[in-house]
Amino acid sequence: MSDPAIRIAGMHKYYGKFHALQDIDLTVARGEKIVICGPSGSGKSTLIRCINRLEEHHSGTIEVMGTCLDDNVDHIDEIRREAGMVFQNFNLFPHMSVLDNCTLAPILVRKTARAEAENVAMRYLERVKIPEQAHKFPGELSGGQQQRVAIARALCMNPEIMLFDEPTSALDPEMISEVLEVMVGLAKEGMTMVCVTHEMGFARQVADRVIFMSEGRIVEEAPPEEFFTNPQNERTRTFIGQVMGH
Amino acid sequence: MNASSPAEISRQSLPNVLKDRYFATRIDTVVTLTFGAVSLWLLWSFFEWAVLHAYFDPANRDACVQSEGACWAVVTARWRIVLFGLYPFEEQWRSALACLAIVVTTVLSCLPWFWSALRLALLWVVGFAAFYILMRGGMLGLELVSERDWGGLALTLFIFAAVVLLGMPLSIVFALLRRSELPWISRTMGFLIDTIRSLPLLTIMFAFAVVLPFATPDWMNGQQLYRVIVGYAIFFACYQAEIIRGGIQSLPAGQEEAAKALGLRYWYRVGYIVLPQAFRNALPPTINQVVITFKETSLVTIIGFFDILASGRAASGTGEWSFATIEVYVFVALIFFVFVFSLSRYGAYLERRLRVGTR
Repeated sequence: MSDPAIRIAGMHKYYGKFHALQDIDLTVARGEKIVICGPSGSGKSTLIRCINRLEEHHSGTIEVMGTCLDDNVDHIDEIRREAGMVFQNFNLFPHMSVLDNCTLAPILVRKTARAEAENVAMRYLERVKIPEQAHKFPGELSGGQQQRVAIARALCMNPEIMLFDEPTSALDPEMISEVLEVMVGLAKEGMTMVCVTHEMGFARQVADRVIFMSEGRIVEEAPPEEFFTNPQNERTRTFIGQVMGH
Repeated sequence: MNASSPAEISRQSLPNVLKDRYFATRIDTVVTLTFGAVSLWLLWSFFEWAVLHAYFDPANRDACVQSEGACWAVVTARWRIVLFGLYPFEEQWRSALACLAIVVTTVLSCLPWFWSALRLALLWVVGFAAFYILMRGGMLGLELVSERDWGGLALTLFIFAAVVLLGMPLSIVFALLRRSELPWISRTMGFLIDTIRSLPLLTIMFAFAVVLPFATPDWMNGQQLYRVIVGYAIFFACYQAEIIRGGIQSLPAGQEEAAKALGLRYWYRVGYIVLPQAFRNALPPTINQVVITFKETSLVTIIGFFDILASGRAASGTGEWSFATIEVYVFVALIFFVFVFSLSRYGAYLERRLRVGTR
């Protein structure tokens, strides 16, 4: 139990010659909620996508639940099982029903029996308040509903950590709250969460720490109260001023 | 516009629809009348030729020669050559049953119930076994008929089914290799596909039928027919691989990322996420490719096989019926039409059915 959920040390990432992430150090304790924000192109999505190897880092170490992320496929699989991910564009599988979207990975990866997997899926679909949509296809749902299904799908794998990559950025304004509500509920239950988001209200409400990134570096990290009322860095102040709309 | 108002409904009556669609303006009227007259004239001429002045009874051969109508008598007299080629006359019932076996197997594999790898594989093993035993014989008290003597519809159907069945899995392998993350694999595959696509099908068939045996050891050669089928299947696979690759590349990158994030390994991602969606996207060009493949089976004539088109030529090739070539070609064209049109309609049905998931 002593391992933190995520430990990143001295991590660098390049796209060709572009130095996308520079010397990232970040430790996330179990049960901790982290919000990562920053201007576009600052590397926040890249950072979160390195944690489950959707992007490859080039130096430094990443450990997730005590497993070292390296080229060993078993390690990568282990980490992906433990870290659920929710994407900006939902990325539901359009050729499968909502229920099949939720049961696919538990059946194939966790080798859960279908009936059991469907029970679990229905439980999570109830939690995100759309059990009645279970037999529809993703294309028949609204954006907010799709994103809630995506959260349920990730939860069905019973992960230790949830990674959110701008989960509300592709949503119409009136649908944002239904997704945030689910995320707040998840946070209250003690899930370890790393969220890239511009929802500052959400950050204030649930984050233990807010991390501000700029030009591939972590520029500032602080508890939300301090972050919003007394930012230390000039760039952080500018950014907060912009997102708060003043 | 309020389409449900009473005035609108009364406008839907037949004369109104006709007027709206065909006689709305003066130009519309002229176009409608011109094309109507030309179509009617063409249809009437054909009807006159094919029915009114036609002869159906072979006993009337001499009257046929004089007549300006169609001489269907040639089909009545020679249809068995068209359908069965050089297959021994007494045994042609076997060829007919073999055709039926392939058609039934094809129709069954179009039913959604059979859409699992295991069921499809079983079905086709049984289908091909039935075809082979019936056609070739040499067992179960059936007289041996070597592949050299196969012909007509049975041969066309056999080549077509075998090429598509061998070629389809092969094309998936090609497409996946083509998209390999290892550059030397994807480049080699790309080069192979491009090379084979640059060669005419005739050349490939000829190479496999005639040239290959000089280069390979005897045990590898087998019957010429099977070599031609393998060559054609590789040719088909190269085209189809590019179609599937197009289908794969039209998927958003997020699909694969989501599958990775859920912990699905490569083969699960390919089998459950990538290929089902890629096939859906690639369905129209796939049907296109299958239809072309069906029609191009006729090229096996150059190696001396009697597919249905060559058998048709043979049917009117005797001095007795040599004046009736057109009638035989029309008959063969009709057979092609029945098969290809069914394929197209099935493709349209599949598109409708699969859209359900992607609305």
